[in-house]
Amino acid sequence: MLKRFRLEEPESVKEACELLGRFGENAKVYAGGTELLLAMKEGLAHYERLVNIKKLGLNQIKRDNGTIRIGALCTHRQLETSPELQRVLSALVKLERNVANVRVRQAGTLGGNLCFAEPHADPGTLLIALGAKFLADTGTSKREIAAEDFFVDAYETRLAADELLTEIQVPAPAAHCGVAYLKFGYLERPSVGVAVALTARDAKKSVGDIKIAVGCAGPAPKRMAEAEALLRGKSIDEATRGLPKAGEVAGRAAQAISDLHGSQEYKEHIVGVLLKRAFQSALSQC
Amino acid sequence: MQFQKDVEIRAPREKVWNFIWDVDRFISCLPGCKDAKTIEEGKRYSATMVEKVGPFKVEFPTTIEVLEKEELTRIKAQASGADNKIGSRMKVELDVNLKGEGETTFLSFVAGVEIVGKLAALGHGIIKRKADQVLDEFAQAVKQRLEGDS
Repeated sequence: MLKRFRLEEPESVKEACELLGRFGENAKVYAGGTELLLAMKEGLAHYERLVNIKKLGLNQIKRDNGTIRIGALCTHRQLETSPELQRVLSALVKLERNVANVRVRQAGTLGGNLCFAEPHADPGTLLIALGAKFLADTGTSKREIAAEDFFVDAYETRLAADELLTEIQVPAPAAHCGVAYLKFGYLERPSVGVAVALTARDAKKSVGDIKIAVGCAGPAPKRMAEAEALLRGKSIDEATRGLPKAGEVAGRAAQAISDLHGSQEYKEHIVGVLLKRAFQSALSQC
Repeated sequence: MQFQKDVEIRAPREKVWNFIWDVDRFISCLPGCKDAKTIEEGKRYSATMVEKVGPFKVEFPTTIEVLEKEELTRIKAQASGADNKIGSRMKVELDVNLKGEGETTFLSFVAGVEIVGKLAALGHGIIKRKADQVLDEFAQAVKQRLEGDS
């Protein structure tokens, strides 16, 4: 059962951040509540105050030159049904369609998902591969945090106590760019997720830039720079031959944790399998 | 969950052994452990373990019981505690072994950690990783403290 708490209803980002700064560990941001309230009902966490930010707007999807700006309070459902997003970032739409179940997607927000930093979550992994930036706001100052630097550990991010994630900025994929996110898991819980974003060049004969991220297997989603280097700038044939090695390197770097859903070795193997498939899927879109 | 940590310490075995029995100093090497008290010298101790994973905080008032003791060689102990606020229990069986001669001691901890209750909802993998981190820091802190003293 939920213990008593006070619900704060700030009317601006500044006011919300002031409350968060003033009450520190005794207050928590309340957005969709799909993860927070479960943890509180279970008695795993308790806060004297919840700072409800649902009335702050922050739920627009905008195209601004080459950047897609997604308000942190956009629900998963909003993202999966957005025609604009379907046009410019279909990989994210596809990912969102497979987040948990429709009840969670209806209430849960993208910002909430990222800030709660539950290890078995999908969006962070794809956003790292897409080179996204997260806008952290205190109401008086703003800073950008690269998606790949945002996640520190399980349930831990780089956001300061008085900062609010207000916007997710994704560079619109360039021409000849393919993006794929593949996951493997049991029912709604992903055990391994792999994202690949790449550009093809020389009339699709070689790999241009490539970003790879792995999530769910370890404590937090991670960019796989070493695996990327094995494929970047290589001819398609060379890169294809190099995929098993890249998969092995990414598997090791994923810091996979053994649990009831698979051993560390098993998850490392799955990283390799998904990397190969995601690479081929991304390449086919170029 | 089974863990093993081996640490090579540049200090004679007697010094390491005496340090282990200087409970206040030894316990202060364990991250998150506070309020160590001796209930019965050489046999029973109490302490509070406070650990945090992201927003989840757990506080186990813990009793530590020394089960076996072999001078300068081995200690077998058991620690158990419960956090009633979040309905979780912890039990640790610890085997500490000392080897080596002269100025070097090989200290080995083998720990069997069992955590049951709601905390388990965080996932076995996350808890295992946290416990592993805590024991790693503990082993390193013991080494630093002992080598720093010499």
